[in-house]
Amino acid sequence: MSAEQMGKLTYRMRLVFALSSVLFLAVLAISPFKDYRREWKQYKRSYLRFAQGRPDTKKLLADYDPNIDQIWLPGMNVVDRCTTCHQGITQASLADNSVPEPFRAHPLIPHNVRDWGCTVCHRGQGPATEVAEAHESTLAWEQPVLPTRFMQASCGTCHQADLPQTPQVARGRKLLTELNCQGCHRLPDIDRPKMLGPDLSSVGTKVSREWIYKWLKAPRTIVDKDGNVTVNGYETEEEPRMPKFRLTDEEIRGLSAYLASQHAGPLPTYKIDSRVVAAWSKNPELASQGELRFRQMFCSTCHSLAVTRAGETKLIGGDIGPELTKVGSKVKPDWLIAWLRDPQGYLPHTRMPRYGWSDEDLYKVTQYITANLTDSDLLSDVPKLGPPTEAEIQLGRRLFLEKGCASCHVIEGVSPQKDFGPDLSALGGKNASDLEFSNARIPHNLLSYIQAKLRDPVSVNPAARMPQYNWTPSDLDAVTTALLTMKGPPPTSALQNLVVQRKEVDFHPTGDFAEVYERYRCYTCHKFNGLGGDLAPDLTYEGSRAQRQWLVEFLKNPQTLRPTLTLRMPQFNMSDKDAATLADYITMVLQHPAANPAAFDAKQFTPAMVSLGKQLYEVKYQCQSCHTIGGTGGYVGPNLNNAGNWLTPAWIEAWLRNPQALIPDTIEPRRNFTGEEKQALTAYLMTLRVATKPPQKTADVTGSRRAGQGVGR
Amino acid sequence: MRPRFPSVAFMLIAIAVASGCQKHADTTKADPLLRAYDTEADWTDAQHVIPLNYRQAQGKRLFYQYCVWCHADATPAGPSNRSNLTPVPALLNDGATLNTESDEYIQNIITLGGSALGKSAMMPPYGRMLSTEEIRALIAFTRAIAQPPYQLPGRPGSQYSAK
Repeated sequence: MSAEQMGKLTYRMRLVFALSSVLFLAVLAISPFKDYRREWKQYKRSYLRFAQGRPDTKKLLADYDPNIDQIWLPGMNVVDRCTTCHQGITQASLADNSVPEPFRAHPLIPHNVRDWGCTVCHRGQGPATEVAEAHESTLAWEQPVLPTRFMQASCGTCHQADLPQTPQVARGRKLLTELNCQGCHRLPDIDRPKMLGPDLSSVGTKVSREWIYKWLKAPRTIVDKDGNVTVNGYETEEEPRMPKFRLTDEEIRGLSAYLASQHAGPLPTYKIDSRVVAAWSKNPELASQGELRFRQMFCSTCHSLAVTRAGETKLIGGDIGPELTKVGSKVKPDWLIAWLRDPQGYLPHTRMPRYGWSDEDLYKVTQYITANLTDSDLLSDVPKLGPPTEAEIQLGRRLFLEKGCASCHVIEGVSPQKDFGPDLSALGGKNASDLEFSNARIPHNLLSYIQAKLRDPVSVNPAARMPQYNWTPSDLDAVTTALLTMKGPPPTSALQNLVVQRKEVDFHPTGDFAEVYERYRCYTCHKFNGLGGDLAPDLTYEGSRAQRQWLVEFLKNPQTLRPTLTLRMPQFNMSDKDAATLADYITMVLQHPAANPAAFDAKQFTPAMVSLGKQLYEVKYQCQSCHTIGGTGGYVGPNLNNAGNWLTPAWIEAWLRNPQALIPDTIEPRRNFTGEEKQALTAYLMTLRVATKPPQKTADVTGSRRAGQGVGR
Repeated sequence: MRPRFPSVAFMLIAIAVASGCQKHADTTKADPLLRAYDTEADWTDAQHVIPLNYRQAQGKRLFYQYCVWCHADATPAGPSNRSNLTPVPALLNDGATLNTESDEYIQNIITLGGSALGKSAMMPPYGRMLSTEEIRALIAFTRAIAQPPYQLPGRPGSQYSAK
């Protein structure tokens, strides 16, 4: 190239220059175009068009801004741009399912989006401005949006007490307690039962080595090909508390040898009166009389039996105690008698009450159990084990610690390994990269991990010591939800302050009452001041509700006239003294200030009031839709046949004024009675009496709280 | 310069394709029930599971607490009180009866009771126990489980589809 040519622009160079300028301009133009096409801007414009098609356009667009919208709450670590696209989130008129996402309003919950942000509950990446980055896991962000099915977990993170709106969390927490997960794992805010698995210090006095072998092989459960759980061959929905461990035959031989040799406490021997034995042992009615007594005492309120009706086998009865269909082939007869007479002598923390047995009842019931509740084939598939050898016992002792048995079961003199399972108190906030997936072919996220681990622990960790549980799909989701609530200590003090602690509940009775209350284990079914079970009515204010004489008679002979009820208060064979102790304490102490019997004079009732009350009951308010009097009426509320002997007039009056003030979750509708109407209804109900003799007492076993053994799904 | 052009173009295309693919790699939302707050099995077909949103789920909870005793044939306690009553209460999923009633009417009958609307006094009023929102949640649940299914009354704008 010559010197002149260098300074000259050739035609060809001009062309290249012009073309590259055009190209450069075009490339530059991509930038504003790409900006215009950004996802969030498309949603902004799309909302504008959407709002213009709605009748309330003005309201929907009142605070419309074409730029990024952001909720910034520095104290809570919230920078949420979700509302950039979710623009109708606070618009009440967009609540309907027909409104397309992302414009639908948030459902009405007690928290306002503007005060709380979104990611505090929903997780996801708040500052992101692209749909995928905001909702899903990315390399830089491993907390994807929580699917709605597990949404309740976020409520549970702050609300440590159960909320009515979050039944799934409540169920999950209950399962974590009942399945004794606390034995191996640290789980914050889950109740730890006083006794996890049964104390095995003297299990050798209770069952044979062969039975232990069978139990360890398949602890009560057998899952058929359809995934149904069977208990001793009968189908059930109950998850047994003992999970299945992956044990070899040798290990089971060792453990069964070790356990069968546990005899820490000698069995108290009790000889049933020889006259009772002589009178009954030859009687062909013995077993059937025992069965009758078993039924009359309402053992079925806590224990279930398999019953076959019309070709279908079902477990009938409660689940507080173990299922007993084949218990006669399980326990030794001497142990059974000792146990029934004094359950706390064998297991100090058992929920089984101590009944006042007569020798006759004890003989009949134990004979029924050992003769009828049996299965001669129960142990037929157990190999000949013989007496335990020293080597087997040594192996068993080692395995008892290594397999984690000692984490739930006590054996005197054996201390469990500390922190046997991992601490789960921060599991719910873990990133996927902190978790071990092994070779599991599942999506690498926290949710899949938890569910896979619960379903089959070895699937994500071949060396897992965790035993195998058998979950229904809804229980699996419930436990997953409860575990997701546990996100560890809140990252900021503002979040820490939001935590709603559980209310401490306490009930410490003293004196004679305390002894009787402990002996009959009243709290297994009844609640007192928030403490206790929820099978039977809350007795916190029972003293305001029931008359003393009625209480005494009821305690001695509990009955119910709720026709739909299968679980009833057991017959404790209570002495007059015990009944009086309980009734005195209840009437003196368990009082509600709104229903003061002393402030009410029943003498003021006139026949005119009674007839007005009857008319109001039958015609104006038609109370018979739920309550029965004299054999006609509904099943929902308690029977009122004996209301005059059962209830105090002060309670009836206060109840009619505001039932929920006395029992917060009762379903009795709160009405707007006038003073005159309340008086008339009370007067009428007080005239309803059933003669005390013959004993035909009415009783309210489930209470007005609910008509059955549980409300809900 | 000329021989380079195709390789640059190829690289650009490759980047575009790669970035395009990445966006769709993670978006697999298979189970529609993952987006439901709760579910209810269809009363007429147990295999058919109905997803419920938050409000419908609250309605379900309230229904099983207060209403199930008379408005269903099976209750958590076993038998139903429905057969004890004359006139027989409607089943909650009875679309043939309830679909033609407006939300306002159902809200009134729950709030004020049957007698206030000239119906049976056996239906008690719940207006002093349940909040307006709770009653609306009950109606939302009723609509969700109705058989035949409930059709939302047409609304301007409801034809709009996202994107």
